[in-house]
Amino acid sequence: MSHIELALWSFPVLLGLVFLRVPIALAMLGVGFGGAYLVYGTTLPIMNQLKSLTFGTFSNYSFSIIPLFLLMGQFATLSGMSASLFRAAESFLGHKRGGVAMSAVGACAGFGAICGSSLATAATMGQVALPELRRYGYPGSLATGALAAGGTLGILIPPSVILVIYAILAEQNIEKLFVAALIPGLIAALGYILAISVWMRVSPNDAQVRPRVPWGERMKALALVWPVLTIFVVVVGGIYIGVFTPTEAAAVGAAGTFLASVASGQMNWSRLKQAILATAGASAMIYLIILGAGVYNSFLALTQLPQLGAEWVGSSGFSPWVVLGVVLLMYLVFGCVMDSLSMVLLTVPIIYPIMLALDFGMSPQDFGLWFGILVLIVVEVGLITPPVGMNLFIINGIARDTPIRETYKGALPFVLTDLVRVVFLAAFPAITLWLVWFIDGFG
Amino acid sequence: MTGAPFYLGKGEFMYGVLSRLAEVIARAMAIIGGIVLLAVIVLTCVSIIGRAFYSSGICCGPIRGIYDYTELGMAVALFAFLPWCQLRNTHASVDLFKPAFPDAMNRGLTVLVDIGMLGLAVLLAQRLYLGMLDKINFGDTTFIAQVPVWWGYAASLVGAVGFVLIAAFCVLRSLRLFIGIPTDSEDYA
Repeated sequence: MSHIELALWSFPVLLGLVFLRVPIALAMLGVGFGGAYLVYGTTLPIMNQLKSLTFGTFSNYSFSIIPLFLLMGQFATLSGMSASLFRAAESFLGHKRGGVAMSAVGACAGFGAICGSSLATAATMGQVALPELRRYGYPGSLATGALAAGGTLGILIPPSVILVIYAILAEQNIEKLFVAALIPGLIAALGYILAISVWMRVSPNDAQVRPRVPWGERMKALALVWPVLTIFVVVVGGIYIGVFTPTEAAAVGAAGTFLASVASGQMNWSRLKQAILATAGASAMIYLIILGAGVYNSFLALTQLPQLGAEWVGSSGFSPWVVLGVVLLMYLVFGCVMDSLSMVLLTVPIIYPIMLALDFGMSPQDFGLWFGILVLIVVEVGLITPPVGMNLFIINGIARDTPIRETYKGALPFVLTDLVRVVFLAAFPAITLWLVWFIDGFG
Repeated sequence: MTGAPFYLGKGEFMYGVLSRLAEVIARAMAIIGGIVLLAVIVLTCVSIIGRAFYSSGICCGPIRGIYDYTELGMAVALFAFLPWCQLRNTHASVDLFKPAFPDAMNRGLTVLVDIGMLGLAVLLAQRLYLGMLDKINFGDTTFIAQVPVWWGYAASLVGAVGFVLIAAFCVLRSLRLFIGIPTDSEDYA
């Protein structure tokens, strides 16, 4: 068997193992290890590599941003900021038709600015906003759908763990990716709010509005969310201006959210332990996958598959836009059954060099940013599509009176706005890139 | 779980002890790893403040070799997180077909996966140990702080060995489930 055939056969083997519930890290490491053995005819090189590869991966300075952001998200959920954000958003939007649901989405967007994880955002905001939504008579489908969709803003609005991983795999600049994600993230929030507004007009229901709040009180409610704004500006702004490295910024962010959680009176030793354990489980999981992906990708590189694949697609005469469409569609389909993180780790090392070989009429740097944002959005859609949408499960778990079928139904309009947004951002790369260009203009 | 009732016999009692031991080891290691992570955060913040003071001409300066300490600390913390990840099975996997598979097949797959994980844990720990010997022989130190790199390897080895122990326990746990002994309330299969 030639090396290329070996590499091609490794895909179905890998997928087969993954669908047999083998953890993705173990499957990638095993297939990569076996593949390298078949290429070399001996395990010696890979065994030698493993003497320093694990420690090297775990101690990698750029990767260390990941556990720090995860811990920051854990602290953020204890900071009481989710409630302040929701109250502030409610004072502005509560009197509109569908206003309480819109406020929940707005608060999710705010929370996404200090939390890089969708699941944490959905869980926290769900606990705060769901009782309120039900009290004002929102149907279970809309309430749970809006919150599940709002939760994805945790990842779509920087900081974002998935973007960090994409940046590492595609060797992109994390600072610029965070800036590029900002406008699409805000568009996502607006899209969700629009979806709620349309829902309220199309489908009659007995959701009530809150009384209008005077501007003085609105300002007071807004003033209470200053820690969120401060932490966001320091972390994302600090990274961009170059005051500190992304890892330092994440450490500062974790310290900031920790202080906020102490100030809110919710932090104690047992909660700190819970935050650490949650971070431990998620970090170890991600690092094992990074390790497995490293072994698997070095096997693929041995066979020269990414390089030959890129050459083949580049010279095949396919329209770049058709290829892009197929790739994004593939992410959407896989997103229905796979979690976003594994999907990014599994595919980006193979897909990215191939896509880069296609000519979209932009610089490699612009392409890397734009493609990263598109991938981020399509993998996040997977969080709110049945049958396996983690955000749907989390919110549905909090809303015990709503059947999962209702939640699936409620998520549909939001999935639609996601799809429209992807097409829109793919067709007009400048929407994603102009803020990066604008800020670069000053630098 | 307050000790196995007497009528469950010796084997059951032993498993109860092992189960509690695994929980204590994994939890303690994860918490210690978390404290290392918190220490890295504090050091990083101190370093940033020192650098800010320095650049505004007051005093002090960043911590010398802070990036080295960050790297060593992160590795030690992450190795210490592995046992907890294994015990609570927080690994990313695709459970889509689980409901479609027969129950016995699912329990059998869990045994195989846990054996695979044990193999991985042994491989990582053994390689890390050999890597440490290399670092001792070559006398490698970190770039700026000049800390011997093998210290980091040695501290990481604690977590790696914990990973092996917990992975071995997980094989036992899934084997018991496979042969149909009811286990703790949580479902790991």
